[in-house]
Amino acid sequence: MESNYDVTVIGGGPAGMAAAVAAADGGARVALVEREEKLGGILKQCIHDGFGLFRFNERLTGPEYAWRYQQMLMGRRIDVFTSTFLTKIQRGTEEGFQMRFVAPGGPFGLTSPAVITATGCRERTGRQVFLHGDRPAGIFTAGQAQGFVNLQGYLPGRRCVILGSGDIGLIMARRLTLEGAEVEGVYEVKQEPSGLTRNLVQCLEDFDIPLHLSTTVKEVHGRRRVEAVTVCQVDEAGRPVTGTDRRIPCDSLILSVGLIPENEILDSLGISLDERTRGPGVDQNQMTRLPGLFTCGNAQHVNDLVDYVSESGAAAGRGAARFALGKRGAEERGTEETIPVRPSGEILYQVPAALVRHGEDPVFFFRASRSLEKARLELRSPGGEVLYQKRYTFLRPPEMERFEFSMTKLPENCGELIFHLEEV
Amino acid sequence: MESRSARGEKILAVYLKKLGSRGITGVEASLEDGVLFLTGDVPTLEDRLTAGFEGAKIKKKYRLRGVVNDVTVNQRSSVPMSLPSINDTLLEGRRFDAVIIGGGIIGTAAARELSRWNISIAVLEKEEDLGLHASSRNDGMVHPGFAASPGTLKASYNVRGNRLYTRASEELGFTLRRPGSILLFSHPAMILLLPVFKRRCRKNGVSGGRWVSRRTLARWEPELTDKQRGGFLLPTAGIISPQEVVLAYGENAASNGVEFFFHTAVTGMEKQGDIITRIVTNRGTLSAGVVLNAAGVWADQVADYAGDRFFSIHPRKGVDAIVDKKQKDSLNHIVGMPSLRGNRRSHSKGGGLVLCVEGNLLLGPTAEEVLDREDYTTHQKDLAILKKHMELDRRLRESDIITYYAGTRSATWEEDFIVQPSDRVANLVYAAGIQSPGVASAPAIAEDLAAFAVKILEKSGAVGPRPDFNPHRTPRPVLAELSEEERRRWIEKDPAYGRIVCRCEEVSEGEIRDTLRGGLPATTVDGVKRRTRAGAGRCHGGFCLPRVMEIMARETGKDLGDIPRGGDGSWILMKRKETVNGK
Repeated sequence: MESNYDVTVIGGGPAGMAAAVAAADGGARVALVEREEKLGGILKQCIHDGFGLFRFNERLTGPEYAWRYQQMLMGRRIDVFTSTFLTKIQRGTEEGFQMRFVAPGGPFGLTSPAVITATGCRERTGRQVFLHGDRPAGIFTAGQAQGFVNLQGYLPGRRCVILGSGDIGLIMARRLTLEGAEVEGVYEVKQEPSGLTRNLVQCLEDFDIPLHLSTTVKEVHGRRRVEAVTVCQVDEAGRPVTGTDRRIPCDSLILSVGLIPENEILDSLGISLDERTRGPGVDQNQMTRLPGLFTCGNAQHVNDLVDYVSESGAAAGRGAARFALGKRGAEERGTEETIPVRPSGEILYQVPAALVRHGEDPVFFFRASRSLEKARLELRSPGGEVLYQKRYTFLRPPEMERFEFSMTKLPENCGELIFHLEEV
Repeated sequence: MESRSARGEKILAVYLKKLGSRGITGVEASLEDGVLFLTGDVPTLEDRLTAGFEGAKIKKKYRLRGVVNDVTVNQRSSVPMSLPSINDTLLEGRRFDAVIIGGGIIGTAAARELSRWNISIAVLEKEEDLGLHASSRNDGMVHPGFAASPGTLKASYNVRGNRLYTRASEELGFTLRRPGSILLFSHPAMILLLPVFKRRCRKNGVSGGRWVSRRTLARWEPELTDKQRGGFLLPTAGIISPQEVVLAYGENAASNGVEFFFHTAVTGMEKQGDIITRIVTNRGTLSAGVVLNAAGVWADQVADYAGDRFFSIHPRKGVDAIVDKKQKDSLNHIVGMPSLRGNRRSHSKGGGLVLCVEGNLLLGPTAEEVLDREDYTTHQKDLAILKKHMELDRRLRESDIITYYAGTRSATWEEDFIVQPSDRVANLVYAAGIQSPGVASAPAIAEDLAAFAVKILEKSGAVGPRPDFNPHRTPRPVLAELSEEERRRWIEKDPAYGRIVCRCEEVSEGEIRDTLRGGLPATTVDGVKRRTRAGAGRCHGGFCLPRVMEIMARETGKDLGDIPRGGDGSWILMKRKETVNGK
C-alpha cells in the first residue's frame, strides 16, 4: 500500500516547513517527512536570537522561529511524519516519485508527482579539512558542541580552542564562555573571517576572544583526550610558515570549518551537483533539472540567514504545488524555455542557476568570490544589454546578497543571462 | 658466553665489519644462547634499522635462533607500553588451562580454536575492547599469498588462511567477499615478469593467477587510469572487515566458554625451571597450564617476561584513508600499481585501492619505521602518499576522503612470522611478528597455535573435546541490508528497529541498544561504532553522537558525562555536576 500526496517534502526544518505551508496554500495535499522525533531541524538547538528579522520582523530564537512554522502547519492539509527516514527514492513513469520510508511503525511508501528535498546541511569534520596528529576524544564540530550545551545541558570541555570562524563557531565561542568554559581563541586559516560581521562583533569582540587569521591547527595532541593543539601561521597559499608553531594546552577543539549540503539521497536519481554550491542547480521555482524534483534551503546552497532558507522553501512549495496540480508530466516542461544564468567576474556562486520563462519573478542570491570595496553587479543579455544593475559599497563572501528581478525585463529569445560582478 | 667461543667471535666480527662498512659505529653485539643481541646508541633511526636488518642476515647465514635489537637512537628507545589505570584483584589466584595474552585477531581466533576443547580459557586484553591495535588498524585484505617470499611462514600461513576464510565466514557469519586483486603494470615490458609471477604462484600455492590485457582491464574497470599496461589478476584476494572478524571470533569463543578480561595487562611472569607458574597482571596474579603469546607489538616484551627473548619487534606505521561510500561503484577489483623503483626496505606491498565490505574504498597503506609502538598520529606527508593512489581511479577526488587512521605493524627483524612453541619455556606458545598478511593468515595461525597448546596440555593429562562446542555464531542483523519484509518483522517485534539514529549508515536505535547487551557488549561510543557503524559514515558522528550517548546512558543507567569515547581518560563531556546547568 502506498499513499499518494501531491507534494512530499523531505525534511522538517525551516526550509521544509515553509515549503509544506506554501505548497498547502497552493492547493496541494502535502506530506512533510522528518527523520528526527521533532520538527525544527537545527533550529531546535539555536537558542540565541536574531532569527526572523525578515520573515516576521522580529528577533526570535531558533526554537521560537520553528514554533511559528509549526503553528502554521496546523489547520492546513499537511500530514506530518516524524521519526521517519527516507530509504529509497526513484522516479516512476505514472505517479511520479516513489519513496520508501522506515519508521517505528514499520516500512511504508509514498508517491508524489512533486518532491521537495529540504535536507539541510552537515558540518565538515576535522578529517575533511585534513586535521592531523592524534585522534582523541574532545574534538567536536561546533554544531555538535552546540547540541550538547543547549539540548543536553553538558559542557564539552573547560578550555577550548576553536578552529574556523564560521558562524556556528563564533556563536559557540560566546555560548561556551557564558557557560563557564574558557575559549582560548578562534583560529582561521583564511586571511578573512568566514562568519557574519555581526557575529564577529557580538560573539568575539564583546567577550574579548581573540581571532587569529591566517592561522590553523597543525596538529592535535593527546591519545585519549585532547591535551593540546599546535597552531601555526600559513602563507597566502595556505602553506605552514616555519618557525610559527605554538603549542596551546586545551582539552577540546571545536571545529567550524564549513557546511556541506546533504544531497546524498539525490544520488539514486542521477542528479549531478554544482561544484560550487554542492547542491543541484535549480530554476527560480526551485526545481532541479529533473521535472517534479525541487530543492530548497541549505540543501540547495548554504545560506547565512534562516529567513532566506524559509524564503526558498516557500518558493519551492509554490512551484511544487503548481507542478503537481497543473503542469503534471514532463512534456510541458520540455517545451518550457529554460535560460541558463552564467556567473561571470567576481561571483563565487549565484542561485538560481537558470530561469524558466513562465516562472515567478526570481529572487537572486549571490556571494562575491572575495572581499570587494565598491562593486557593480550587472545582469546582461548575451548581446551585452544591461537588464539589471546594482552597486555595492562593500561585499564579503560570508555575507550573501539578495535582490529581486522582474521577468518582464528579460528580452525575447534570450539564450542566457550573464550574472556579472566587478570591482569599480 | 658464546661470544667468547671461536665461532661466536667470528660471527660477531663479520657482523661488526659489515656495520662498519655501512659507516655505523656505536653498536655492540653479543651472542647468548644462539641469539644475536644488539645494544649501544646510534645517531639515526636509519642506522638502528640497518643494524637490525644486517643482524637478520647474519642470523640467517649462521642459522642463529634470533635477533634482538636494543640499539637506541640518540638515547631514545621504544616508548613503554600504555597500561590500564585500573588495579584490583579480579584475577588473583585464578587458574586457567590456557591463558591467551592479547585480544587481537590472533588471540581471539586462537581462543575460538581452543574452545573446541574441554578446557578453561582466558583472554587477557589490556584495552577496553577487542582488536584495538593492529587488528583493526589495517585494510582488511585477505591477501592471496602472492607477495610473501616462497618458503616463508608468511607465504604458507597466508595461502592456508585465505582458504580457511570461506568456512570461517560461513560459520561465524561475517561478510567475506572475493573481488580479486590486480597488480597493475606501469610499463609494457612488465609482461616479461609473467613467468616469474606464475612461478611465484606455483611455489606459494596461489591458484588462478593470470595476465589480463590492458583492454580487458579497461572494460572491467572503466574508471581505471589510462596509465595501466595490463596487469596480473589474483582472483582469490578477498576482503573482510577486520573489526567484524575479531568480534565474530571473540563472540563465538565467549559463547563456547572462553572468559575475556579487559583492562588487563600482563606486567610480569614467574617461572620454576622452564615452566611459567604465575602471570602477574594489574588485576591480580593468575596461573595457567599453557600461555599463548599473541601480544602483537608487545610480543617481545611478553617473551622477556618469560625470560625467552629471541626476537624483537620494530614497529612500522601505516596510514589508510577511507573514501565516501558514494564512490562505491567506482571499482570492482582491488588494484595497486607497484613502483618499479620501490623502496626495498619499506617491506610493504606498495599499497593501492582496496574495496571494503561496507562499500567504501580504502587508500593505503603507507609504511614508515617508528620507535613508538602505539603512536597513531597522522601527518600531512602520509596523506600526500595516499592521495597518489587516487590517480588510479579517475572519479576519485580529494574531497571524497572521509577519514584516515594509522596502525603499527609488529615486524621482526627477520620480517617473518614466529608461530611455534617456545624452545626454552615448556608451557609457552608464540604467535609473534604477525604483521601483514596477518589478517589473511589468522585462521591458519590460530589452528596451529591451538594444536601446539593442546599438545603441551596433554603432557599433564588427556584433553577431550568440548561436548557442546558450537562453531556457529548468529550475527546481529544489519537492518539496512535486509529486505523490507524482513525489516518489517524486526520493527513489529520492537519499534526501536524503526528509529534511525545514524543517518549516514542507516543504523537504528534497536541495533545500537543490542550491542550494549549480551555477548561481548560495547562499553564505549567507539565500541558501538565498531559493532554497528553508527558514526562511521560521512558526517562521522556529527549528528548521531548525542543520540548514541543517550541510548548508552539509558541502557547502563549512567550519567551522560560518564559515557566514554574509548578507553581510560577518553571522556567526551564534563560530568553533569561540573556543568553550569547542574550547579
